[in-house]
Amino acid sequence: MNAQPLKAETATDRHPLAGQAMSGAEVIVQVFAGEGVEVMFGYSGGAILPVYDAVFRYNAEHPRANGGEAMPLIVPANEQGAGFMAAGYARASGKVGVAVVTSGPGATNMVTPVRDSMADSIPLVVICGQVGTAAIGSDAFQEAPISNIMGACAKHVFLVTDAAQLEATMRTAFTLARSGRPGPVVVDVPKDVQNTALAWRGSGELALSGYRTRLRTVEQATLSDTDCAALFTALMRAQRPLIYAGGGVIAAEAADALRAFVDAFGLPVTTTLMGLGGFDSTDPLALHLLGMHGTAYANYAVEDCDFVLALGARFDDRVAGVPDKFAPRAKFIAQVDIDPSEIGKVKAVDWHHVGPLTRALDRLTAYGRAHGLHPQLTAWHARVAELKRAHAMNYDRASALVQPYAVLEAINRHTQGRAIVSTGVGQHQMWAAQYFDFRAPRHWLTSGSMGTMGFGLPAAIGAQFAHPDKLVIDIDGDASIRMNIGELETVTTYNLPVKVVVLNNVGDGMVRQWQKLYFKGRFAASDKSLHKKDFVLAAQADGFAWAQRLERTEELEATIAAFLAFEGPAFLEVMIDPDAGVYPMVGPGASYAQMITGDFIPSRAAPVAHEDSPSHMF
Amino acid sequence: MNHTLSILLQNEAGALVRVAGLFAARGYNIDTLTVAATHDPAVSRLTLSLQCDDASLSQILQQTRKLVDVLQVAHPATALAA
Repeated sequence: MNAQPLKAETATDRHPLAGQAMSGAEVIVQVFAGEGVEVMFGYSGGAILPVYDAVFRYNAEHPRANGGEAMPLIVPANEQGAGFMAAGYARASGKVGVAVVTSGPGATNMVTPVRDSMADSIPLVVICGQVGTAAIGSDAFQEAPISNIMGACAKHVFLVTDAAQLEATMRTAFTLARSGRPGPVVVDVPKDVQNTALAWRGSGELALSGYRTRLRTVEQATLSDTDCAALFTALMRAQRPLIYAGGGVIAAEAADALRAFVDAFGLPVTTTLMGLGGFDSTDPLALHLLGMHGTAYANYAVEDCDFVLALGARFDDRVAGVPDKFAPRAKFIAQVDIDPSEIGKVKAVDWHHVGPLTRALDRLTAYGRAHGLHPQLTAWHARVAELKRAHAMNYDRASALVQPYAVLEAINRHTQGRAIVSTGVGQHQMWAAQYFDFRAPRHWLTSGSMGTMGFGLPAAIGAQFAHPDKLVIDIDGDASIRMNIGELETVTTYNLPVKVVVLNNVGDGMVRQWQKLYFKGRFAASDKSLHKKDFVLAAQADGFAWAQRLERTEELEATIAAFLAFEGPAFLEVMIDPDAGVYPMVGPGASYAQMITGDFIPSRAAPVAHEDSPSHMF
Repeated sequence: MNHTLSILLQNEAGALVRVAGLFAARGYNIDTLTVAATHDPAVSRLTLSLQCDDASLSQILQQTRKLVDVLQVAHPATALAA
């Protein structure tokens, strides 16, 4: 694949346009075309104008059969929106998301989506215009040291100072973004490089021998019979084995291989926030989400298990807040990841494999089947079923106030895990993770590691471009949506049938929840009851023909049915119980045994008194 | 414990900053740092020393190997002991 050394050019693989004169800007667009880019997101500006002009001319010369543009360039309200649209597109499609912005503020507005994508391993290629090479370092207009800034956030950043390297650099950026552990790659292109007269070559990448050698080692890694035997020896001794599946299952397209492994050996599966959709959450062996706001039954199963198989998961602090107390009864922990640095980073493991997840799972399944290995897990399955029954998600179903959980359950009755759902960050994000069904990969788009408020709306827009015919719902909060509310207009500008739900609890609900627990209820800067925004009017002003506010429980079912049935863009604000909390909760610095389950989910232990002093944990 | 690392790096714009930035961002303090040319003008050799325990050393070696411009990372003391 991409790791192969460059081939000598032969007549047969010569690009039809090879030798053609092109500007640097045209080269960039031609590489996009060659890489299969079907949509890009970006905001114009002085230092990127040559590329924008080249996109315009390319689209004029290459109409699609239906008259549409070959590579539409979608314009957000703010470059951060473009970055999250590209990320939403990438998360929903599995392809590389592309964003193109100008220098200085255009590029610095892109820093948050780039870091967000790095933290969640999402493949992006971001092209930033830069001031001319002669002006770099002169404090020129709209100049920022993007190579330095992005170098600290991205998988890699190129500053192209030699126009002769532009074509190979562009192609290499796509290879880097999608290979190994995926991530964002930034290409900073000075304006004079965009205007340089070049000859199109049509092939060739940068050598990057260090990266490619390491990549090849990882991609070619295989499990020996001894490796398989060691894992199965431990698995066959285990009485309560558990799979802990993370975002790597999605990134590696390994959901089918995971399904086959579970079918063969019967291990229950709990998923991280990023892993939702990697295993059908409606399956009897699915324990849904684990961690700080995981289901009580998943967290109890982690407490009880004696064997953990971590698949594309990294024991992060939202899962293993106290690594020593995570899965305390596990006698054997195994980990498979594509990134060598994740092995043992947080928690020491007894067995590990660094390599492509699908191949590893296929190999393990084949080995176990060939050796007739059938773990006897009847008792454990019964215990898992009992945990799911006894500690099921629940809330105040008799409340006169609209409960956010009820809203999500009502939406889920329509979508049943088949809609693409994006979220902002906070309580609404956790409720969506807890109360929706997740049946397939790439239907759940959330800012997991960075926790970026404002992610939901632009991510939904990007996802709708990836899947024009699918139902895409942004579940948002009143505070999160404010962060990128300018993108409401982007929804209507492109007439996208995105459905936007704002669960309005008049403030930063998750911050308030922590202030209640750890700061004696002093709601510093998290209350928005004096804020004046009328969200429905705002949506109408941005062209939403369907925009309504839901305030009464008796209208819930009918309103949600009408909202989801509307053909075009639709906006629903729901005034929810402002005191609704996210439970269960494993507090910062607490173990799963100390989990608070709230008033409506039975706990199996006496709740531990809350700490009153502010914790240094976060 | 004191460790000395030897890193071969592609001579690209910003490559040195990325190595130094990685160590800073992950909370490692570089005690000494030398950058020298090699027989290949496209490659530089960084020699740096730092104080850390063995687990931290293993982690920073792995993280350094994730930098695209890095060709090779060696910890000569480990190599000698092995």
